[in-house]
Amino acid sequence: MREVAAAERRRRTARLLVHGALAIASAATLFPLVWMLAAAFTPNDLILARPFRLWPEQATLANFAAASEAYPIWRWLWNSLLAAAAVTAGKLALSLPAAYAFARGRHRWRDAAFGFVIVTMAFPTVMVIVPTYLAVVRLGLVDTLPALIVPSIPYIGFYVFFFRQAMKALPPEMFEAASLDGAGFLRQFVDIALPNVAHVVPALAAFAFLGAWNIFLWGQLTLASVENKTLAVGVALFSDIEGAQSSWGPLMAVNSLAILPVLVVFLVARRSIERAFANR
Amino acid sequence: MRGAHGGSLQTAGLVAPAFFAVAVFLYLPIAASGLLAVLDYHPATRAFSYAGLANIEAVWRDPAFRVAAWNTLVYCLVLVPAQVVVPLLLALGLREIAGSRLAPVYYACLFAPTLVSFSVAGAVWLPLLNPINGVLNEMLIAIGLPPSRWHTDARAALWVVCVVTFWKTFGLNLVLWYAALMTIPREQIEAARIDGAGFFRRVRDIDIPLASPTAFFILVTTVFTTLDDIVGIIDVLTGGGPFERTTNLPYLLWQKGLVFFQFGQASVVALVTIAIVALLTFVQFRFVERRVTYA
Repeated sequence: MREVAAAERRRRTARLLVHGALAIASAATLFPLVWMLAAAFTPNDLILARPFRLWPEQATLANFAAASEAYPIWRWLWNSLLAAAAVTAGKLALSLPAAYAFARGRHRWRDAAFGFVIVTMAFPTVMVIVPTYLAVVRLGLVDTLPALIVPSIPYIGFYVFFFRQAMKALPPEMFEAASLDGAGFLRQFVDIALPNVAHVVPALAAFAFLGAWNIFLWGQLTLASVENKTLAVGVALFSDIEGAQSSWGPLMAVNSLAILPVLVVFLVARRSIERAFANR
Repeated sequence: MRGAHGGSLQTAGLVAPAFFAVAVFLYLPIAASGLLAVLDYHPATRAFSYAGLANIEAVWRDPAFRVAAWNTLVYCLVLVPAQVVVPLLLALGLREIAGSRLAPVYYACLFAPTLVSFSVAGAVWLPLLNPINGVLNEMLIAIGLPPSRWHTDARAALWVVCVVTFWKTFGLNLVLWYAALMTIPREQIEAARIDGAGFFRRVRDIDIPLASPTAFFILVTTVFTTLDDIVGIIDVLTGGGPFERTTNLPYLLWQKGLVFFQFGQASVVALVTIAIVALLTFVQFRFVERRVTYA
């Protein structure tokens, strides 16, 4: 009996230690973001006078005003939203039908084509950047949003792989029953396959959105003029041009702006993400 | 043949858009990279001429290339193990206290930086790292340590880039590890505990084997983040400096291509990067995938 009590005590101590370690790790991880938010709403001279704070002092929106005076940050926000939404839609539109055909279709080249598509998961973006840029130049599309969006869509390897798994996991009887009711191959895609994987679509859409929102190198290349940039690309310009990096408040305002939409997307998709990765 | 499965024409029709998108935008450019590597580009006339092996030779002789290649290796050797092991430890900790009201709070805090773009991550850290009156130096001084010049110090810069990259990316692996660990039956772990297996033995003998498909996925995807996306952080934080101490191959490629219009040399750098990725992926499949047990 005493041994059991001792073991119980040991486990409680261990849990306490785990709590301590996780609390420290969480605080350290969150600190830069807390500082960013505090600085975004604190007058710039106060930040320069004493940088350390966890809460806005003399809360103000002046940093957002100063940032939008220096650069078209609202236009950047709009460009980012447009590009991320378009890339996300494009990835889903390409990968869902393909995944269905790979899961349920019949074709002698089906599995070879599946391999061809999913191997691209292992292609780093740098390997295509130079020729694609030259093609964009030749087509006269430099400095347009489509030049950013279109070449960013075909990275669909993981999406096709994931949706195919999800569709393969559906009971075949569902499709057979629909087939007996006279639903053809395409009808079954719309009526059976799509509704039954719909719960994991927001999860992958959220990751596609995040990926597109993050695009940096390709955006640096294709979006030349200031008003055409996205937030992720524009931020670099912002922190560069200030040289001495003395306008931290406006920079942190832009950073906060750049994080907000992604945060909203992930909060909305939270349940879906939990379900999507629960059984892998 | 219109039963439960699709006919071959319909199957091909649904696959075609994805197939051609991948072929045109991913496969074709790789083939073109091979071609560009032996060509010279003349920006004024937008014309190409045959260059033979001149680009390859120029890249090989370029000291910046050697530094970038070395740094790429260092980034991989430091960041890949860190981004696999640390999130695993955090996920194990989270599982240990699963059910506690604080667990979702830790989880959210640890995941938060993952939502930040790479370039924004660099910009968030800039003022914290500022050598003159940044927060980190204030903290060092407060506890009686000498201040550092962080990302502007030639010896520290690479480590600063590593820390910021780690901060921005480990959350994703944490989510994947945690999801995998939570599917392992509790009874199995309890049984091992009763048999007297300590923490590390339980992790080694039960958790890692049962989570090995996830582990493998994490390993492969982490290599790509480390090679590719880190560029956003390098550009904002250090611009590859000081003295090229933080540059890597993709960043060098970007500089050669956009800044200096040396598309031939940039393609050579791209091909070297591809070769490294292919080699790493091959090694992972050859030596790690064997040990993966698919349930």
